[in-house]
Amino acid sequence: MKIKVKIKRFNPTEGESPAPYMQAYNVDVTEGMTVLEALMKIFAEEDPTLGFRRSCRSAICGSCAVRVNGFSKLACNTQISPEYEKHGEVLIEPLSNYPVLKDLVVDFDKFWKKMDKITPYLTPPEDPGAVPRVTKEDAERIDSSQRCIMCGACNSECNALEIDTSFIGPSALAKSWRFVGDVREAESGKRLKRLSAEHGVWDCVRCIHCTEYCPKEVAPLTQIERLRSKAIKEGLDDNPGAKHVISMIQSVRRLGRLDEAAMTFKTLGFLRSLGMIPFGIKLEIHGKMPLPHIFSQIEGIDEVRTIFKESEKITGGKKKR
Amino acid sequence: MAQLKYAYYPGCASREITKEANETTRLVASALGIELMDMPKANCCGAGLMTDYNYDLSIALNARIFAEAEAMGLDIMTICSTCLMVMSTAHRDLKRDPALLERTNRILSKAGLHYSGKVGVTQLLWVLAKDYGIENLRKKVVKPLNWLKVAPFYGCHSLRPSDALGFDDPEKPASLEKVISALGGDVVEYRGKTKCCGFQVDLVAEDTAVAMTGTRLLDAKKNGARCMVTPCPFCHINLDNYQGLAEKKVMHKIGLPIFHLPQLVGLAIGLSAQEMGLSRHLVTMEGIFR
Amino acid sequence: MRAAIEAAKRGLNVALVSKIYPVRSHSVAAQGGINAALNKDDSWEDHMYDTVKGSDFLADQDAAEVLCKEAPENILEIEQMGGMFSRDSSGDIAQRPFGAAGFPRTCYLSDRTGHGLVHVLYEQLLKHNIFVYEEWYVIRLVVEDNISRGIIAYELSSGKLHRLHSKAVILATGGYGRVYKTTTNSLTSTGDGMGLALNAGVTLMDMEFVQFHPTVLKRTGILMTEGARGEGGYLLNSKGERFMERYAPHAKELASRDVVSRAEQTEIDEGRGVDGCVLLDIRHLGEKKINERLRQIRNLAVKFAGVDPVHEPVPIKPGAHYSMGGIKTDVDGATSVAGLYAAGESACVSVHGANRLGGNSLLETIVFGRRAGRKAAEFSKGSPLSSFPDSFLKDTANKVANIIKRDNGEPAFRIMDELKVTMEECCGVFRDRTRMTKGLEKVWELKERYAHISLVDKSDYFNTELPALIELEHMLDISEAILLGAVEREESRGAHCRTGFPGRDDKKWLKHTMISTEKGEYKVSYSDVTITRFKPVERKY
Repeated sequence: MKIKVKIKRFNPTEGESPAPYMQAYNVDVTEGMTVLEALMKIFAEEDPTLGFRRSCRSAICGSCAVRVNGFSKLACNTQISPEYEKHGEVLIEPLSNYPVLKDLVVDFDKFWKKMDKITPYLTPPEDPGAVPRVTKEDAERIDSSQRCIMCGACNSECNALEIDTSFIGPSALAKSWRFVGDVREAESGKRLKRLSAEHGVWDCVRCIHCTEYCPKEVAPLTQIERLRSKAIKEGLDDNPGAKHVISMIQSVRRLGRLDEAAMTFKTLGFLRSLGMIPFGIKLEIHGKMPLPHIFSQIEGIDEVRTIFKESEKITGGKKKR
Repeated sequence: MAQLKYAYYPGCASREITKEANETTRLVASALGIELMDMPKANCCGAGLMTDYNYDLSIALNARIFAEAEAMGLDIMTICSTCLMVMSTAHRDLKRDPALLERTNRILSKAGLHYSGKVGVTQLLWVLAKDYGIENLRKKVVKPLNWLKVAPFYGCHSLRPSDALGFDDPEKPASLEKVISALGGDVVEYRGKTKCCGFQVDLVAEDTAVAMTGTRLLDAKKNGARCMVTPCPFCHINLDNYQGLAEKKVMHKIGLPIFHLPQLVGLAIGLSAQEMGLSRHLVTMEGIFR
Repeated sequence: MRAAIEAAKRGLNVALVSKIYPVRSHSVAAQGGINAALNKDDSWEDHMYDTVKGSDFLADQDAAEVLCKEAPENILEIEQMGGMFSRDSSGDIAQRPFGAAGFPRTCYLSDRTGHGLVHVLYEQLLKHNIFVYEEWYVIRLVVEDNISRGIIAYELSSGKLHRLHSKAVILATGGYGRVYKTTTNSLTSTGDGMGLALNAGVTLMDMEFVQFHPTVLKRTGILMTEGARGEGGYLLNSKGERFMERYAPHAKELASRDVVSRAEQTEIDEGRGVDGCVLLDIRHLGEKKINERLRQIRNLAVKFAGVDPVHEPVPIKPGAHYSMGGIKTDVDGATSVAGLYAAGESACVSVHGANRLGGNSLLETIVFGRRAGRKAAEFSKGSPLSSFPDSFLKDTANKVANIIKRDNGEPAFRIMDELKVTMEECCGVFRDRTRMTKGLEKVWELKERYAHISLVDKSDYFNTELPALIELEHMLDISEAILLGAVEREESRGAHCRTGFPGRDDKKWLKHTMISTEKGEYKVSYSDVTITRFKPVERKY
């Protein structure tokens, strides 16, 4: 079947004021044909000026991530026909959140720099005798973060990166867990401290795009949650992100549910909460000012507290500093 | 049609800060003949923050909610996308991993509880789109919203992770659009409808949160929206309460009224603006009524 | 990367030049594992015997000894760097059975072993601050008076030619699987290093030995790891028979790859195939084990063949997988040119002889990568920097300019397609003189036509057509070398199976094939096989 494949093209070296444009190709799509196969076909038979990266064509080298009908995917493991059936067209664009170099080729420089920032290699104890033995469970704990192929799809989809380009991003965070979660790592504490700073692990907005679009089941969001849990456990709670979580935990333990006013206060601290007052007045006029739930516990709050106690017995609570 | 009946879980936000969502859901459900049973014991699902603290605790607290619904013999219906996501993810994990279910039940047993894994989780949007049915909804419309251009806003937690939620295709969701159309409204298409409102970092990275909110609002507005509807009270907080801040951030006057899903349904099936608590919103609704 | 790290550790200024980002290299696609005699009930001698027997006694036994002896320390070193292999329940590095191995000695990281190794080496590359010239294509080795002077590379983002002047050069450019139509190899596995070396007057060895992997997906050639059989998978024909029982009564599915591939091809040729394939059946392993140990395989089968191996057998067939031959080196990676080294699949040490064992290729890359890095460092410390003759740069620039200038020629891709089909038909699992001669003539014809091809893309900014054209030149040269070696060798040994000469002929052919060029002409010669511990005997599985 002939399917029109639209590709967003861009060559900054062409013309007076180069701008991206759409180009359509009629591709004879055979059963099971992937986006990458279509690109290869266009490249070989029709237009060798088309720029795109490729190598393994089996979803393990991470070269060929592009956006297909708006979402970041590996060209090599995305079939054309289902995309066409779903969207009524096949639109191929370069990844988001990266500068475009040419056509579907993007500049990965920032991606690698973010990786560099997290010291992307193991720092074992200096004394080789102090390296703990790795159990099966230890290996499994970091298995999903080890699946990463650095295709960059998660960073392309990340809603936080779209707004804040300084955000460290899901790929580097997932990679961080690969070391923080490794029993042989000697610098976990240092790593977590760095990640707890601004633009770090707490700036993730939990949009779940990274996990949804990761082609290798790395589940970056899960790794982010693990980093956050471990940071809190290690007592790294002097930042709005950790405070927000802790105040929420306290609220649930006390009431069984959220106490938004208390959470705001505890997360922002006294002075910054004062800054929220004019906003609070506006909310109050509309009857929306959250009031501290001094007496409004849920029924059976004792059950909740027991669950807290039992869960923390198993997994360990927050370390006191 | 068989009587629809759910264990009703409004979520913490709709008990207080967006209580109009809760109140209007009850009115609309009653008007449509959907029975909502209260869950007096239900605790907070964790609001997507509990897993940052302790995964096992988060699962156990959600299992406590499920245990209450199980005792009622009902599936859970929520009106909050984040509650939906958190509960559905817990549900998925408990189903996928029998060892986790067993571990969780060991914790629950100390509180005299047990969960056998049978409770489903849904939200008002899905109930309307599927259980109640779009055609049945259309029949109930007495004041079609055919003068209103509505931008659907799903946000994140009604769509992703799709392997836990599995209702709408996150790349091409349709339920909200179908409901708007059934109510007679005009659906406005825009890219941002499946993206994040910024709520989760309101108190952590406010600049990011507000810029995100502004970007979504502007996107909808530029595509011709006169108002927006969302199934999620957290999204509503940002889109409505924070709209003023967002306007400053994106340097555009937006003035886009934001409906909770039940409010839009209520208006179309003949409930009054007053009943729908529209005056509780910060962005005024006046401009959109003829 | 392993070589670069070793040289950098020894205080050298090292740069890595790669046509793709290092983590994109084809080694990431290695799935099943890496062999090492770690268990106290295993020994490097047994590993060596399996390797030599697997090679059909063509491997140089001194080299195989180095490979197997150094395997355990290399594995442990990778773990010290930060690598993590899958564990067994007692916390030891887990090992799985692999084809033609007398002991379960294949270490693995699920079914992503190569990916795990490449990423840990990349991490070390960053740790040692090794500069990477990314998306630079090496287009010339500069060799004069049999001394390596450096390289000339083409920078994709600018179209510029660069001179990289160095004391030593290590080639680690992988294989040439892409000269075949059905191959497990990356689109980038075009044998560049071998082609560059041949053109620089360096000898290639045993090029006729091409490994066909028994389990690749039909249309795409995507690999289904040997680990699938290692974990207990069956091969079935259209009648549902485990046909390997007839070909290798003892090892069955876990016979050596050449044996299994020939058996499959025979089943298919004799009409017991299923739509040009046979079936890989792992259903009996159960979903849990499949998800734990063969998860990627399952996803690949679902995505690329539309078959979920938990519920259905997967249609598979043999496909070009690995090059046993390559640039002739000694056990330190040294070639015949001073200062020029090679390691990994691009090299032929030779440890694989006529057929490589699964799990030995990753091992070869780290063992001989390390050795080549070490030797190149020693060489660099002890030798002066030889001059880099300007004429090479001028000559290369002219060549590139001429290609760009040429108009109205044939497109490169037609020639590439014809080459792939030719190699598949004329030099596949079963070979005979008639077809191979036809193949050779075809390659000559294509080379003739290659001289007149032209580019559509004449730009100097991310022009990927030009490198494709240069790759094609290497592919043509390599194909000719494969065919020349194969047509001469009148015996069946390992992966080289001549239909008219079914047996191995140690009297006449227990020797390596050498291919070199002299003034553009290919020259075939032979050298002796080093035999130390194990006398050649008949190979049975």
